[in-house]
Amino acid sequence: MAILIDRGTRALVQGITGKIGSFQTKLMIEYGTSVVAGVTPGKGGQTVGGVPVYDSIHRAIKETSPEVSICFVPGPYAADAAMEAVDAGLRLVVVVAEAVPLSDAVKMLALASERGSLVLGPDTAGLISPGRSKLGVQPHRLFTEGNIGIVSRSGALSYETAKTLTENRIGQSTVIGLGGGPMWGFTYRDALELFMDDQATDAVVLLGEIGGHLEEEAADYIGKGYPKPVVALIVGRTAPPGQKMGHAGAIVQQGRGAAQDKIAALRNAGALIVNAPREIPGMIKRELHKQPHC
Amino acid sequence: MEAAKKLAGPVVLKAQVLVGGRGLAGGIKFGEDPEEVGKVTSQVLNTLVEGERPSALLVEEKLEVTRELYAGVTYDYQQKRPVVLASSHGGVDIETVARENPADIAERKIDPFKGFSGYQARELAAKIQLTGNELVQYSKILSAIWNIFRKHDAELVEANPLAVLPEGKLVALDAKMNLDDKSILRQSSMLKRIGGIPPSQTGGLEARRARAKELGIPTYIEMQGNIGVVADGAGSGMLTLDLVADYGGKTKVYCEMGGETTSELMENALLAALAVKDLRAVLINLIGGLNLMDEMAKGITSYLRKHPTKIPLVVRMSGTNEDEGRRILTAEGIRWFDSLYEAVEKAVAASRGY
Repeated sequence: MAILIDRGTRALVQGITGKIGSFQTKLMIEYGTSVVAGVTPGKGGQTVGGVPVYDSIHRAIKETSPEVSICFVPGPYAADAAMEAVDAGLRLVVVVAEAVPLSDAVKMLALASERGSLVLGPDTAGLISPGRSKLGVQPHRLFTEGNIGIVSRSGALSYETAKTLTENRIGQSTVIGLGGGPMWGFTYRDALELFMDDQATDAVVLLGEIGGHLEEEAADYIGKGYPKPVVALIVGRTAPPGQKMGHAGAIVQQGRGAAQDKIAALRNAGALIVNAPREIPGMIKRELHKQPHC
Repeated sequence: MEAAKKLAGPVVLKAQVLVGGRGLAGGIKFGEDPEEVGKVTSQVLNTLVEGERPSALLVEEKLEVTRELYAGVTYDYQQKRPVVLASSHGGVDIETVARENPADIAERKIDPFKGFSGYQARELAAKIQLTGNELVQYSKILSAIWNIFRKHDAELVEANPLAVLPEGKLVALDAKMNLDDKSILRQSSMLKRIGGIPPSQTGGLEARRARAKELGIPTYIEMQGNIGVVADGAGSGMLTLDLVADYGGKTKVYCEMGGETTSELMENALLAALAVKDLRAVLINLIGGLNLMDEMAKGITSYLRKHPTKIPLVVRMSGTNEDEGRRILTAEGIRWFDSLYEAVEKAVAASRGY
């Protein structure tokens, strides 16, 4: 059993009739995700790749009982759509849109925390449990089933890392993208908690970057005693300060959020620090070799 | 000078720049009489604030001030809430006050669904020891700042310093507003009304930045070096920059296209990057999920057909539709790499003339 999603998890796609939504739905279905319904207001009654489309989540729930959603609705409307999913009681909503206004994001995240739903994102690649299910946009050929959990702010950096692991015959249990920030629903800490109790996960790879507080928060958590090895990579070591490095949350401001501080915090907490994805396979093999069961 | 004469009396001259910290950089000066005004005008106009040259000068009457307060609204990114900040300690950076005199700040986290009410503004005013007419004026200003913050999807709105004049009136001597980049679509009418984002006048770099913006490149950064880096993801892009440095190379220009890229944007990113002089190599790192590699390949080949270049282009391509993308590159005689490390090594070697 993988964390968050698994074989047979019933998924809904919001914004399924759009160009990106329909293409990515096709890829998810090919991968084995059970996409049971799509929602696009005004397009109820159509089908996309065999998936029935509804005008609202309310209708979709009655007829298809989805548990989780991935939302391809564009930025200015994404938070409203995600709130519809949260309000309807879906336990997990993946928000792919990059440009969700902050004033919308705070409402979406407040509602989700009030209702106990998880929001992944915004600006996220989603998540994939290789060989089982995918609720995201990952190029899934780079991923293989296995025992390493990956959690990353950046989608592309998680692809890069999964690719390197796969090439070294190390598979992944679940790979999670948190999103570009500067505000996040689901965090590294949340992922670490789930990976801790996950029997399919033997070690965790934490892929961080400059800016924000999430890596420091993760370091605090790991420092209290984390039972599985954590390998950490922080990118942006050479990024000039004061510049947004592609993600809204990736900026070193007034000396805060610098890569070296995050690296120091994680190292002090007991995480194993690497400088590039290709150092990760060797590090993992050494660590898991030390453990009695592997 | 005309403006200063009209105000007849001591004036303050303020450099109009799009960055903070202008006071410390010498971008604010006082002139007691016309002679002094003339002298400091050219000083202020020629002062670079964080590399930015003032686009204009604001000339205002110099006011007698008894003390300076602070009022602002921003986001608490950790708590994921807007936060209203009040302080009896104005005129300095609020971050500095928070560090050195935290007791002088009162704050209120805002429930985004409930908003910020007048009574909450008065509570904050009382918490920073204001009374009487000052309390009433200050809380009205706080409410007004909150309304501006909400209406214009700002990330920050602050009045600092908010001066108390001898007769008890409150006047904002300076105000700053940062808009949320992610709300630009929704705020387009307001941006149009204020004439768009004013172009800066520092010349070369600013012109290239403005051009990159026009071309739709979300992130355009120049550094000291001779390699151009183009990437289709923030994290993979930063990794590329780090690896270039680890391999002994130096990046001159960095273009990041974001996770939803088109062939046109790929072409534009090369236009922006290759507009920079004296590049010795360009490294393109593509690892796409949402981005389709066949589209990226079309963008690269289209650019090269229109703008043949002797500068070596090193392409790393992996991800969604990679087979088709690589086929397109191969057909055009463009070599691609599957391994990021090999691509970085190749680009750094090329930058050294190998």
